Amino acid sequence: MSEPITTPTEIKETAPVIRLFRAAVVLACIGWLGYVVYSPVIDPTTSHPFKLGLDLAGGSHLVYEADVSKIDPTEVDELMNVLRNVIEGRVNRLGVEENVVYVEQSSFVTETPIERLVVELPGVSDVREAVAEIGNTPLLEFKLYNAELDAQQQSIGQSLESLAQSGTSSGAVIGDVKVNGEVVSDELPFTDTGLTGRFFERAEAVLPQNTQGSGFNSSPFLNITFTPEGGELFAQITRANVGNQLGIFLDGELLSAPTINEAITGGRAVVSGSFTPDEVQSLSQNLNFGALPVPIELQSTQTIGASLGEEVLGKGVAAGVIGFSLVIAFMLLWYRLPGLVAGVALVSYITIMLALFQYIPVTLTAAGLAGFILSLGMAVDANVLVFERMKEEYRAGASSREAARVGFNRAWSAIRDGNITSLLSAIILFWFGTSLVKGFALVFGLGVLVSMFSALVITRTLLVTLPDVKKSDHTSWAFLLGNGYKR
Amino acid sequence: MTTNIIPNRKVYLAIAAAIAAVSIGIIAVFGLRFGIDFTGGSLTEVSYTVAPDKAALETMVFDLGLEGSSVRASVDEAGRDAYLIRTRDLSEAERITLSETVTQLGVDGEVSRFTSIGPVIGQELRDKAVWAIGAVLLVIILYVAYAFAGIGTPVRSWTYGGITILVLMHDILVPTAVMAVLGMLIGAEVDVLFVMALLAVLGYSVNDTIVIFDRVREQLVANRTEHRVEREEAGIMLAEVTYTLDKPYVELVEAAVSQSMARSINTSVTTMVSLIALYFIGGDVTQNFALVLLAGVIAGTYSSLCIASPLVVAYAKWRGVDVDSVQTTKVI
Repeated sequence: MSEPITTPTEIKETAPVIRLFRAAVVLACIGWLGYVVYSPVIDPTTSHPFKLGLDLAGGSHLVYEADVSKIDPTEVDELMNVLRNVIEGRVNRLGVEENVVYVEQSSFVTETPIERLVVELPGVSDVREAVAEIGNTPLLEFKLYNAELDAQQQSIGQSLESLAQSGTSSGAVIGDVKVNGEVVSDELPFTDTGLTGRFFERAEAVLPQNTQGSGFNSSPFLNITFTPEGGELFAQITRANVGNQLGIFLDGELLSAPTINEAITGGRAVVSGSFTPDEVQSLSQNLNFGALPVPIELQSTQTIGASLGEEVLGKGVAAGVIGFSLVIAFMLLWYRLPGLVAGVALVSYITIMLALFQYIPVTLTAAGLAGFILSLGMAVDANVLVFERMKEEYRAGASSREAARVGFNRAWSAIRDGNITSLLSAIILFWFGTSLVKGFALVFGLGVLVSMFSALVITRTLLVTLPDVKKSDHTSWAFLLGNGYKR
Repeated sequence: MTTNIIPNRKVYLAIAAAIAAVSIGIIAVFGLRFGIDFTGGSLTEVSYTVAPDKAALETMVFDLGLEGSSVRASVDEAGRDAYLIRTRDLSEAERITLSETVTQLGVDGEVSRFTSIGPVIGQELRDKAVWAIGAVLLVIILYVAYAFAGIGTPVRSWTYGGITILVLMHDILVPTAVMAVLGMLIGAEVDVLFVMALLAVLGYSVNDTIVIFDRVREQLVANRTEHRVEREEAGIMLAEVTYTLDKPYVELVEAAVSQSMARSINTSVTTMVSLIALYFIGGDVTQNFALVLLAGVIAGTYSSLCIASPLVVAYAKWRGVDVDSVQTTKVI
């Protein structure tokens, strides 16, 4: 377009003092925020430090999958919360600082939702101890004998046996657990009652003094006290199933299956099995540290050495500083004074983003850092759009301030449409993504908003504070407000 | 500045088609190596001050009997010699056996990085990546169609949305081909980071294309004359509005492209210098990420200038719109 754009309605000129004041306020705000952001670097006791991901801080990342297939869907959330607390308690015993334990659901992309428990251990590069500690968490379950299921399995077992013909192997092979002298498959004929570790209040090992031939409770056993809720459930189960067998399972293995003689009220249960005194003691200890409400299985492990993380972080920060300098150098060379203004806007973009990282907080990972460095180049885009429009007006003879004003108005629709699509993409990614992609989407989305703010508020405020000149003035201000490209 | 991109659109579109074809060829021939993020499996990085012989390490690893193992020489972040050992996903016991085995050899062997991902998680990640990209594309088409709705251009607003997506395909193909070449040359694997790079390219490219279409929109609005015919029908006033473009469509699009040139190039320069800094200084972890993005940004800049607008004109012509002379479009 070659004609100068004249605004139809006369805009009232703001007093120079007010413009200067505004610019000063903007600069002061950036300066203050910069100090706030920088303070954690010099003051390690701050309440809002940068949160570094495991790949930068070094450490381990464990993912457990919880088997909730037998749980009432309405209870899953609560149970996962119980699980989280139990595992967190165990991990805390390791003395790892700032460990994070959280529940993660697979998104609706998968057919059946999968519940996962993620354990993050900063600074721990040998996961053996942690895995063992978590693995020590017992899963104690009470299940009811199911005669129907048993009959079915027996018939399957028999047909398998007749197939196997020879007497050396039995049809039901996998688990050599014996119940009432019978060999059954590893899928024992018991149904869940929902009475699990979440209802335990306390476990106590009982070691009878007289272990010689006194008959009934001669071997060590475990006394379990239920929570009031658990006691009620236990009473209810036993009342409804007098005469049936109640199987007690530890980590999926059958310990014993006593017959229920009468309803048991009072919220206590006795767990016996062929324990040694040591076994029963460590079991009671482990139960008191927390028992699993649902079975879990280790799905994935990730370990990064601490020195490695430091190296990655250092290089990432260096790349950021160099990238930032190059962007500013380019903007200065091309746009001169407005380029400097864009530089200030870029500094404020970085400051605001870092402040958000600290206060939301956003966990910084290697990928997040790379994304942020990429965004340094893209964040000046709104400035570039405005400056290019401004250049057209300025060349056509408009005064620099008028050109800036028209530039902002003209560039707005492009800035808006471009940023809305970016924002929509970020929202979708955040919605679908796994934690890693979520972090990227969050940084990306915030970057879009903040870069828009920095261009529309900061660049604009500073730009209109600059002297109002015309290209035809041929003064040094006119040179500075032009740009490096000669037609 | 006139670029003559639109008058020479056939040349630019032919170049784009050639680039896309070569990219597809490269991807088809070299293939992509999917990392454990997507396939499940485990990756162990073991670093040494004095590394053992690769063959010796391989023998020991293969003797463990873990299916599908492979060993690749590498350098860790601290500059030490290292090997990357890829196996199926390992249980805790297997992990311990493996790490004990590999640190026996060489001097100061240390497992500096270990990742194991179950096949279910890998599958889920793959599904999610596909869904996310699909959903993003759909939203972009809808938004662009909405943003350009009702401006009375010779082509419908859906065309702009559709072409934005076509251009995206080009921009995704190029970095994917770069990834395939990297896979062939240095064994680079497609991981979550690569998907993120593609998503960033997607965002960049759309933004770039939209800015130019915004100029087209502005040109169309600025260079049209409105004709309003009002008539009364059954007591209701109906206004029929038609527009005449004051200049040929081709000229308007060419003006839009020329005016967007400096901005497109400048933004890609600032983005590229950031990425170059990331590539050379930012460490090994994100080196491929930077390279793939660099390819995507270059492709994105080319495509938004030399593919998107030429395609709009070519499409309009194909639909029988007389793009070379002043003509009338109708909007009610």
